[in-house]
Amino acid sequence: MNTIGCFLSIRTGEKLRDGRGAMINLRMGQRVSRIVRLTLPVILFAFTLVLARADEPTVTAVLTSSETEVDRPVQLQIKVTGDNNATPPNDITVDGLDIRYTGQSQLVEGRNFRFTYSFVYNYTILPLKAGSFIIPSQNVRTGNGNLHTPALTLNVAPNDNGATRSGRANRPGNGSANPVDEKKILFCELVIPKTSAYVGQPIPAEIRIGLNTRVPHRLIDGATLSGQGFTTQRMQNPEQTLESINGRSYEIVTFKTAITPVKSGKLELTAKDARAVIQVPRRNGARPRSPFDLFGMDDPFNDPFFADPFAGMGEQREVKFSSDTTTVEVKPLPPNAPATFAGAVGNFSLAAEVKPKTAQVGDPLTVTANISGRGNFDRVTAPSLESERGWHTYPPSANFKADDDIGISGTKTFELVLTPNESKKAVPPLIFTYFDPLKESYVTLRSDQLAVVVQGGAAPSATPAIASGSGAPPGPSAQPARPQSQDILYQLTEHGRWDKAFTPVMMTPTFWGAQAVPLLGLLGVFGWKTRQRRLQNRERQRRAAWENETAELQRKLRRGEDPADRYFAEAMRLVQLKTALLASPNGGVEPNTVDAETAVAAFDLPEEKQLQMRELFRRSDELRYSGRPNGNGIVAEQTRRDLLELIESLS
Amino acid sequence: MSAAEDANALFARANTDYAAGKFSNAVAGYESLIKAGRWNSSVFYDLGNAYFRENDLGRAILNYERALALDPAQPEAQANLQLARDRARALELNASWAEQHLDLLTRDQYTWLAAIAFWAAVAIGMGLNFSKRRPIVWTFALILLGVIAAGAAAAAYQLENGRSGKDLAIIVRKNITARLATAESAGAVLFLPPGSEIKILSTRGSWDYAALPNDQKGWIPNGSAEKVRL
Repeated sequence: MNTIGCFLSIRTGEKLRDGRGAMINLRMGQRVSRIVRLTLPVILFAFTLVLARADEPTVTAVLTSSETEVDRPVQLQIKVTGDNNATPPNDITVDGLDIRYTGQSQLVEGRNFRFTYSFVYNYTILPLKAGSFIIPSQNVRTGNGNLHTPALTLNVAPNDNGATRSGRANRPGNGSANPVDEKKILFCELVIPKTSAYVGQPIPAEIRIGLNTRVPHRLIDGATLSGQGFTTQRMQNPEQTLESINGRSYEIVTFKTAITPVKSGKLELTAKDARAVIQVPRRNGARPRSPFDLFGMDDPFNDPFFADPFAGMGEQREVKFSSDTTTVEVKPLPPNAPATFAGAVGNFSLAAEVKPKTAQVGDPLTVTANISGRGNFDRVTAPSLESERGWHTYPPSANFKADDDIGISGTKTFELVLTPNESKKAVPPLIFTYFDPLKESYVTLRSDQLAVVVQGGAAPSATPAIASGSGAPPGPSAQPARPQSQDILYQLTEHGRWDKAFTPVMMTPTFWGAQAVPLLGLLGVFGWKTRQRRLQNRERQRRAAWENETAELQRKLRRGEDPADRYFAEAMRLVQLKTALLASPNGGVEPNTVDAETAVAAFDLPEEKQLQMRELFRRSDELRYSGRPNGNGIVAEQTRRDLLELIESLS
Repeated sequence: MSAAEDANALFARANTDYAAGKFSNAVAGYESLIKAGRWNSSVFYDLGNAYFRENDLGRAILNYERALALDPAQPEAQANLQLARDRARALELNASWAEQHLDLLTRDQYTWLAAIAFWAAVAIGMGLNFSKRRPIVWTFALILLGVIAAGAAAAAYQLENGRSGKDLAIIVRKNITARLATAESAGAVLFLPPGSEIKILSTRGSWDYAALPNDQKGWIPNGSAEKVRL
């Protein structure tokens, strides 16, 4: 068979006649095909390498945007192709631009089986001022010599605020200045609605901290109010909102409080030392290299603060910031305050009630006074009675319920306990005085009289009781009892035993020992009664057994079917049982111990029946112990009749 | 000299000091008796008088209360207690309805009554159990005694745990305010003059939680009050 070798196609049974291919004989073609399959990948790889190695290194540079504005960064990327060991420029300096190296990455491109490897070096450019800037050609050192990037042009427009310059100073040579305007990122302001107030007048205040949402940030500490001559309420948890200010979005954290001036004069307040951590653009090489970064790939996941794979271009920085100083003019309270004024400043109302409505002299009454409004509730004291004559008052309790966040509006409730010393028809009005800053005058509130009925005479004074029994009559060393009630009674010079105790009697051993006596007694009685009952039951059971046996024996005797020895034994047993039953209520008589004489005596039989009884016992014993038969073994009819008559006569 | 003779001598000396106007010495004498465990209602009463003379109304009231705890019917202690309370403007705990109506007998008397009625009821019950006939009179007596026993036991319990019970304490320091929490800066619940009655419910750290005369509860610093019962 004729064959022609070919390595492009395999077909069997047919011969191709064009110049592009040829038919392969199956046996020979298989061997060739195996060889080709083994060597082809090697050839292709070598070919690729040759093609790749044949490229010379090249460099390009691009900007992510050629148009930007002040403080809006862009990226510069320098791509080196064909050289693994290129050295990018360390420092690119252009006046008006802050350019910092931020990292590198690798790029593999393939086209028509041609693969190219490139390294991309990234730089962040922050425009510091408006204008058109030329980024000059940069030198890139490769294995084949130096390469040069093309020059690039960046046009920087003024920013949204119209600023043509960034707010921060130019970076000095060592690169330590902050390239970022912190005022655009965060701010603190103190909001006080009043510019003048009176001493003691509470003023609401807000500390607002704003943080730009476009800049990663974290608030560490809110600001504290700094100044002299005032007190503050405790700040509650802040509120957080989002606001747009000058086209920028800010997260606003608001702390609410109230300040109360304590002295007159000029009060200067500042919200100081708020602290936050923000992310700012990174300096050259400032980001630490990860220990896992073995190949110097400068992985953006390396950032320790934000863990943002795409941030890769900033560093965290802690900043401290404060608000401007605010001034409040504090005026002193007018002189000649009423005697009932205790320092309350604001605007208040008074309501009062009393419980119970009826009482006896000396019984306590509770007056509840509610002072509501707005002001310095910590200086609001309990209202006083217009007249305390005939009343005994006790220190009041107080409870404040705020109805705002800062505690300058709400209701303070006082409970005053009074005891009347004489009969009354009403509780006197309550008086409360405060200073109203709006009216600029003192205001005295007076509640209505509270109707109450107090019955009884005047409360008895504490007259000492006459000693009776327990105390000794006053000895020469004791004070005499006075007729008036203003002094205590005499000393006791006699005393009782020294072993008195406060312990309740139920916890003393004596008490429980005393309980043992009736307990043991009752247990003894119970045991004795139980035993007695058990004995009686036993006796009853025995009687019942005897009666059953008696009835059974009587039936048998009437039938008369038994042989003579058994018949007479049963008759004798029946007599014994009847005798025992007769005697059992009075004393235990066992049936087995009953003989003829006992039966005769028990039933008090006449002479004739006595003889019969004795004959019965004799015949029974004779038949039982002698063993002689009695004819055919059956008792004669007459004998049975006599015996039954004898036995049935026993009762 | 036996211990009792020592106590007698000490008591007499303290009384002599009191009569001579040496109230602080008298206080020391009575207190040493109490510290030695030698007390009775007269000692507490006399000590109360001595504190009263020293113008320590809180401790005066405390010792009058102790005298009455040992001898509820002591009239001198009752009178002086009332006087001291008025002078100190001390607050008293509110008595419950039951306590107001249970002052016929003392707690210990109710205890004995309950025990006697109980055993009598048990004896009658046992007799009824073992007897063949059960007259209605004895059944009624059994029920009645059972009710008396239960009632007396409940009264004793109420008195033991009530206003004058085991937790009763008297404020002995000045300027004590019961607070909402265990801090001096916490809100005030009630100002307690010396001699005011409270019931100590629990202790946490250096604060005691107490029931107060106005039916509220609050915290007071340790040592502000002393329990009536030793």
